[in-house]
Amino acid sequence: MIRLENITKYYPSKLGKQYIFKDLSFDIPSGHNIGILGSNGAGKSTLFRLLAGSEYPNKGKIITDLSLSWPVALTTGIHQQMTGRENTRFIGRVNGIADLDEYERRVIKFAELGEKFDLPVKSYSSGMKPRLAFACSIGIDFDVYLIDEVTSVGDAKFRKKAKEALLERSEKANVIMVSHEMKEIRQFCDSAIVLHKGELTFYNDLEQGIERYQAL
Amino acid sequence: MTTVTKRGPWTIWKDVIFALFAREIRTGFNDKFGLSWAVVNPIVFIFVLSFIRGRLSGGETHTMPTFTFMAIGILFIQSFLQTMGSAARSINKNKSLFAFRQVQPISAVLACVLFELLVKIFVIMGVVLVMYFMNIEIQISDPLLLLSCFLLLWMLGVALGLLFGIAELFISEIGKIRGLITRPLFFISGVFFSLQDFPKEYWHFLDWNPILHAIELTRYSVYSTYGNEGVSLNYLSGIVLIITFFSLSVYQVSWKQAISR
Repeated sequence: MIRLENITKYYPSKLGKQYIFKDLSFDIPSGHNIGILGSNGAGKSTLFRLLAGSEYPNKGKIITDLSLSWPVALTTGIHQQMTGRENTRFIGRVNGIADLDEYERRVIKFAELGEKFDLPVKSYSSGMKPRLAFACSIGIDFDVYLIDEVTSVGDAKFRKKAKEALLERSEKANVIMVSHEMKEIRQFCDSAIVLHKGELTFYNDLEQGIERYQAL
Repeated sequence: MTTVTKRGPWTIWKDVIFALFAREIRTGFNDKFGLSWAVVNPIVFIFVLSFIRGRLSGGETHTMPTFTFMAIGILFIQSFLQTMGSAARSINKNKSLFAFRQVQPISAVLACVLFELLVKIFVIMGVVLVMYFMNIEIQISDPLLLLSCFLLLWMLGVALGLLFGIAELFISEIGKIRGLITRPLFFISGVFFSLQDFPKEYWHFLDWNPILHAIELTRYSVYSTYGNEGVSLNYLSGIVLIITFFSLSVYQVSWKQAISR
């Protein structure tokens, strides 16, 4: 379970503080693959970054004993000038992987970049970068994977593979994902959190959540 | 299975700093010159300026060879300015990496300044090599003082860089101000002159500046005949201690909010 306690989060702007969340308390239940639904600017990515510890709330705290991945977006932490291999090792080191070589092999196998793995990332096609980013995160055993629209860029084959990898781990691991494509969400998730005007609502049944979201 | 090892906070720091350090080396110098440019560039700069000045003003300045006099000045001001500048820039530059909760701004700063320190050590070795081939006498009368001055100045650069780096996350214009106020330092820190060249009643315009103290003390540590009137190690270390303490306090209080904007 991930518990949000009295979270207040705002961004300063010319027009004063832009509140995303005001004194929000919420428990995100574990054991579910959750899709986060919300309109543009509702704060999906902010919620994500708060969960991952990439940003900190202005007030309140987030308590969990699960290990969460970083928010896996298209190119998080990937340097354009470095090769796929160097990027992989960097991410592995930062996350404290015990056996870097084994991790590298796992990423190679999953990302299927072939010899491009040893070329700078800037030479990758737009579909290959997220494949690397996703492979880097799935190569580490987290309890919860935070996925931000990564899977939607890949081709059908990659998507199938991503799904299988997550299913394979589904007894121990879960996914929380953001996507605007309902097809995506249906493929990976079984329940939903709808984010609207700084309030979170959990729907055990995904279809119910999507219905609510589309009615917004 | 690739398991994540449970690490203590120190091990996380060590791993992250090492990873960032490797990344810094790999990405900072991506052209054909590579890493060598970081060392060759300052050596050439120091050599040209010191050599010309040495030619212009004759062999000796306050009992030490003019080349050595100038080389120490330029080397020290450069190591201060570059350490501070790259420490300040490193925070903004690595901002995307703070997405990993293990990476904190101070790790980026530390990785970057350790790299600067390493480069400067190679630059010093290069300058000494040049002096050897030019048949300039190489002597150090107080190595310990030399080392403390160098490290204190480096620490001052780190502390101020950290302070500026954090401040620039809140107000990005501070970066421009930093560029503006660091430029005159080249001219008021005793790079081209000695404090002894000035009449005593004007010293108070200059001797507030800890960089001047570091440079003059280093010259004294190399040639004890140079004299150390008007400068003191206590003042230098006191200032460095205060600024470091202040900078770390500001960091501790504000880093979480600084990266959450």
